[in-house]
Amino acid sequence: MLRRTFVALPLVACLAGCRGQRQFARFVAPGDRLMMGSHQAGSETFAPLVDEAVAKLLARHAEAPVQQVSYDAEGRPLPCPPKRICFVGVENKSAEDIGDFKDELYEVIDARILDSAVFAPLNRRFVEAGLRATRIRPDELCVPQRMRDFAAHLEREGEPIDYLLYATLTSGTTRENRDYERSYRLSLELVDVRSGAYDKQSADITKGYHHSRLSRWRASR
Amino acid sequence: MRRAGLIVAPCLLLAGCTTHLARLEPVRTAYFGGDIAAAERLVDEAIDSHASDADVLTLDKGLLALADGRPDEARRLLVTVRDRFDHLEQESPAEDAWSMLTDDRQRAYAGEDHERVLVRALAAVADLAAGGDDAEALALQAAEKQGEIVAAAVADDGTNPKSGYRPVALAPYLRGILREATHRDYDDAARHYATVASWEPGYAPARDDVVRAGGGVHSAPGHGVVHLVALVGHGPCKVVVEEVPSSAALLVADQILSATLAQSLPPTIAPIRVPRVVAAPGRVRAVAVGRAAGAGWTTAGRTTTITDVSRMAVEQDAAVHDLAVGRAVARRALKKATVFGVKEGIGLDRFGPAALLFDVAGVAWEAAENADTRCWGLLPDSVQVLRLELPVGDHTLALCAVDEAGRAVGSSVARSVSVEDGRNAYLVVTAVDAGIIGGAAAVDR
Repeated sequence: MLRRTFVALPLVACLAGCRGQRQFARFVAPGDRLMMGSHQAGSETFAPLVDEAVAKLLARHAEAPVQQVSYDAEGRPLPCPPKRICFVGVENKSAEDIGDFKDELYEVIDARILDSAVFAPLNRRFVEAGLRATRIRPDELCVPQRMRDFAAHLEREGEPIDYLLYATLTSGTTRENRDYERSYRLSLELVDVRSGAYDKQSADITKGYHHSRLSRWRASR
Repeated sequence: MRRAGLIVAPCLLLAGCTTHLARLEPVRTAYFGGDIAAAERLVDEAIDSHASDADVLTLDKGLLALADGRPDEARRLLVTVRDRFDHLEQESPAEDAWSMLTDDRQRAYAGEDHERVLVRALAAVADLAAGGDDAEALALQAAEKQGEIVAAAVADDGTNPKSGYRPVALAPYLRGILREATHRDYDDAARHYATVASWEPGYAPARDDVVRAGGGVHSAPGHGVVHLVALVGHGPCKVVVEEVPSSAALLVADQILSATLAQSLPPTIAPIRVPRVVAAPGRVRAVAVGRAAGAGWTTAGRTTTITDVSRMAVEQDAAVHDLAVGRAVARRALKKATVFGVKEGIGLDRFGPAALLFDVAGVAWEAAENADTRCWGLLPDSVQVLRLELPVGDHTLALCAVDEAGRAVGSSVARSVSVEDGRNAYLVVTAVDAGIIGGAAAVDR
């Protein structure tokens, strides 16, 4: 018994003293609990914002009355082609540096719009090449002449567009001593390049950041 | 007298142990003298003979590869050490306990705080030069790492010795230039440049960067941008310093305790040694750049410091120096207590020869300690950058290391760079006392 203890104790001591193993990972399946960003927004915030904002925008335009303008050889009406949309980019005007989420947000929104068949988004690489070739800043596209120049450039490249789409992330912070609440808004603005008319849909989420578990518990009561 | 002689002798025998600094010195001399091949050979030999220091020596190997125009290899080596440091920075109670019985050299080296950030930032620079796609991710990791290091140092009483750490502005700068080159994410670029201006107020071009990203464009039509990144000067290194006041105080304390306790304590003859980061910047202060114009050259600009590595390392070391001294004093106390406990446990006669032998052994044990001088020895004194907007086409740039007064250090070298419309090109050079050394890499994205 004593001998067994003598052997076991150093072994336990060694194991307890060892440096941890290398990092572990897991797949997060749909429905699994997501990590909650403790200091800033993460996918737990952005995913529902994107879902809601994109769904609202698509729903509004899917319901829009369609004016049939073309017919096939037998006189049957042809389905209206989806509107060509140029997704200019995601603008981060929030208080946080969203790090690697910016490109992620772009790709997710772009993919959702492409899947919907309500709009036909222009490939991102064409958008970037167009901005580079014309040296027009995304925020300058709202100037009518610059917008026309950009649309004309894309048309010359064989990629005509009907709409420009902007995504803007904003935030507002309310502080209470060491705790604070931050409301995040993702706005999608759709601008008709011919008329300048625009549509806007947005989604909001408010998140509380607490300095202690007790504070979080009190806030959630 | 005889007793004192017996006690001092082991100190003299053990004091000459080789430190990392001794191994590093010839490597630094060769590298800063411009002999990359000799420096690489010495680093390889050191890795072979001191496998436990392989990580920190691999960092030096990475910078040698970068200076020699092998940025892809440099990036791979730096990223490998980044992963090792991430693993080693976890606490190991067994290693901590063992280091309390020996010294800090027995702990696996997980890098100093500035090294853990710079390994990411310089890997990003190497990635740019190699034409890779990971530069932005690595720069983001550098910024995140420095936040993590500061956040983890908050004490129970809310104080944080690392709260005053000087951040590495190179990381947001790299993110800024990459975002600006998309011609789409000017908002991100402006945000990163504003961070640079705030973190490194001495970097004057940040104001122009903020203005351009806020309302201008990346470059005029028919132009592109060359970003010159220069690793300038000789970086900091660790030297051994003797903490005389702490040693003297400990000597007085153990004399008092020896006079009052049942057994004597080994006297503090061997001084307490701790590492201290010192700057040794060398002569070079910047890189002057000229452009071929007709038969002659025109001045294109001069690099500006975006990250003062030496200053950052020295300040960070000063912020945590007391902790290192405290750990060394605690180690001495533990060793003295162990010798006392053993003598008391076996009931030795306080003035007998066995007790004297124990004291001699105790002094020898203490004298065997040395400071941990492992460090990234080939870091530059500063990382400097220069932005040049140039017309589309091939250009030849003349690069010359200059000293404080603007005088040339070494001869100027010519480097070719290709500029494409609306795109970035990158040129990474190393400037030491021998001038511009090794091959510079230029790529287009």
